Amino acid sequence: MPTNTQTHHRIRCLLGMLGTDVHSKGIRTLARWLRDEGIEVVYLGEHNTVEGMVNALVQEDADVIGLSFSSGGYLAYIEQTAQLMQQRGVGDVAFMVGGQIHPDDHGKLSALGVSGIFGPGSSKDDVLDFVRKVATEQQLARSSLPA
Amino acid sequence: MNSRDKAPLSAIENVEVKLSRTKTWGGMETKASYTPNDVGDIDYARDLGNPGEFPYTRGAYPQMYRSRMWSQRAMFGYGAPEDTRDGIALALEAGLKSINIVVDPVSQQYMDADHPSFAPEVGLDGASLPCVRDAERLLEGIDLAKIDVAWHWGPMAYPLVAAVAVKRGMDLRELQGSHMPDLLQQTISGWGERLLPADFANRMTCDSIEYVVKHSPRWAMGLPQGYDIRERGLTPPGEIAVGMAIAIAAIDELIGRGMTIDDIAPSLAWVSIADIDFFEEIAKFRALRRFWARTMKDRYGAKDPRSMRVRIACHTSGRSLVYKQPLNNLSRVAIQSMAALIGGVQSLDCCTFDEPIGIPTHEARELAIRTQQILANETGVARTADPLGGSWYVEALTNQVEAAAIEMLEKIEKVGILKAIREGHVEQMTDEHNFEIERELDQQERVIIGLNKFVPETEPAPTRFEFDPANTRKHVQHLVDLKQSRDQHLVSEKIRQLYQVSREGNNAHQAMIDALVADASIGEVWGTLRVASGLSYDPYNVLNSPFAYT
Repeated sequence: MPTNTQTHHRIRCLLGMLGTDVHSKGIRTLARWLRDEGIEVVYLGEHNTVEGMVNALVQEDADVIGLSFSSGGYLAYIEQTAQLMQQRGVGDVAFMVGGQIHPDDHGKLSALGVSGIFGPGSSKDDVLDFVRKVATEQQLARSSLPA
Repeated sequence: MNSRDKAPLSAIENVEVKLSRTKTWGGMETKASYTPNDVGDIDYARDLGNPGEFPYTRGAYPQMYRSRMWSQRAMFGYGAPEDTRDGIALALEAGLKSINIVVDPVSQQYMDADHPSFAPEVGLDGASLPCVRDAERLLEGIDLAKIDVAWHWGPMAYPLVAAVAVKRGMDLRELQGSHMPDLLQQTISGWGERLLPADFANRMTCDSIEYVVKHSPRWAMGLPQGYDIRERGLTPPGEIAVGMAIAIAAIDELIGRGMTIDDIAPSLAWVSIADIDFFEEIAKFRALRRFWARTMKDRYGAKDPRSMRVRIACHTSGRSLVYKQPLNNLSRVAIQSMAALIGGVQSLDCCTFDEPIGIPTHEARELAIRTQQILANETGVARTADPLGGSWYVEALTNQVEAAAIEMLEKIEKVGILKAIREGHVEQMTDEHNFEIERELDQQERVIIGLNKFVPETEPAPTRFEFDPANTRKHVQHLVDLKQSRDQHLVSEKIRQLYQVSREGNNAHQAMIDALVADASIGEVWGTLRVASGLSYDPYNVLNSPFAYT
């Protein structure tokens, strides 16, 4: 197996919000933290449609997609997003969600392929650990590819 | 050892109590003690005055809560209009005389419940209210001349209620209630220039105030809406500075339209917040009243005392509440409410303890009402006006908050508030403040129990409010059916008139009421106003206008 001769892959993280939700101060702050930690953040902002968000994911070739919700409608939006991600061939991108996520929904979210759930009480380090873990896995995956 | 014995032991490990911060929550340095030397410059008559006297630092009314008890409020809104009505009926039975109604985020942004992109949000976090028939269902049995309904909603609330009143044959002069026409705060608080350009926002706000002042003198208007901008990320001085800048933008425009300050200001009320820093919030309310009074008198030459005496509507801070061990929020809300009452607010809406979890359960809502009743009847907090007036610390802090607000307002006015919003300066201010808060939390320079200290390791999932969405689905279908069955010719005609009035730069409120009475929806009315101002019909650019405007 060849050693990884490529330079460090800089992890790319697409962040945004769906629907009418205006509670974006959390994700704006998160975007800044992640940038300060050397992660490349594509911040799509608020008020995206599911279609627009997944289109951006395809175009930006991101390693992680992160959505934040302060509205009770998150489960339906996440389901729509997960389905469209599958359809567009980006279903394997690491999917994290944050905000007002209720513990009763964790099981459903995992079943939809959401691997990072950062509800109330989560810290920025929890998010960072998740993103770094994704980065490590991606790097491992790359290094095991034939040269 | 049984499980009952274990609990106190683990609690004992957590008994540490120490001072974690000497700055206020808003970041102002505080001394270890205050003396008469800190307030030596204060001239009682000039700077404080008796309660009910200029500059109203000590309160809006001479007798304060002895003559006018604050209005105890609770917020309602979820699902279809019928669902919200049931909640209101419960509250009126519990003894409330006035209620606050919040609409769902889709209606908040003046879009219809049948918009193809937002189905998961219809009826969530507020009542869905896309047309006059829904407003009629919601307000059935409520006397609009007697029950004080406060709409936590922008400029669409008034024409919609007015349309109900017109259909009931009422004179608009009798209408009682209030709404919050401040749209600039929405642009700041997450809508952004894309959904709500600042210039369009200010025009719609001013149209709303102008029409209401002329037609419904008993209707009050919450402007500035300082609550959302604080929650978005401003300090108490920031609330005063940005709130005042928003008020000035509206007043200047309305004076330009030929109104006087004494036409406008008496109908306005400041929508404010009480966060957890007890003394800082009390100082904020006092500084706010003084700064408002002086601005109205000195800057605008107000003569009517009602113009100078600002009324304050307060809601406790939702952002300050913590998800973990949510019952702690009852303590937080009680302290915030106490600050609001010592600060002399005219109405108070307590957050429910489960606000961080979702919309309130009935139990949580009842406890929020009880908090107010305990404050009113047991604590003596309302016994005398401005009970902390004359405290060296509170007077010094009032001066400090006011001075910081004046300095900030001067900076904003150098740019101009509309430009500052358009170019993102205000957003940058809130971003910086939020980032600083997170940094402080991270370093434990700011300690919030259950968030960054004394965090319970395990807890059962909190109960969340759930309701049957069947009514919501039926309600959306009603709207779809209505759009098919209504008098299309009449709707098109009213929409065309609305477009023309607005296009010519005139106040479109009468035309909005007429269109709503004719069964145009709020999305159609707002979309038409947008098109008349050169914007897209649908702020999200999904729908095209179904109307021909010329």
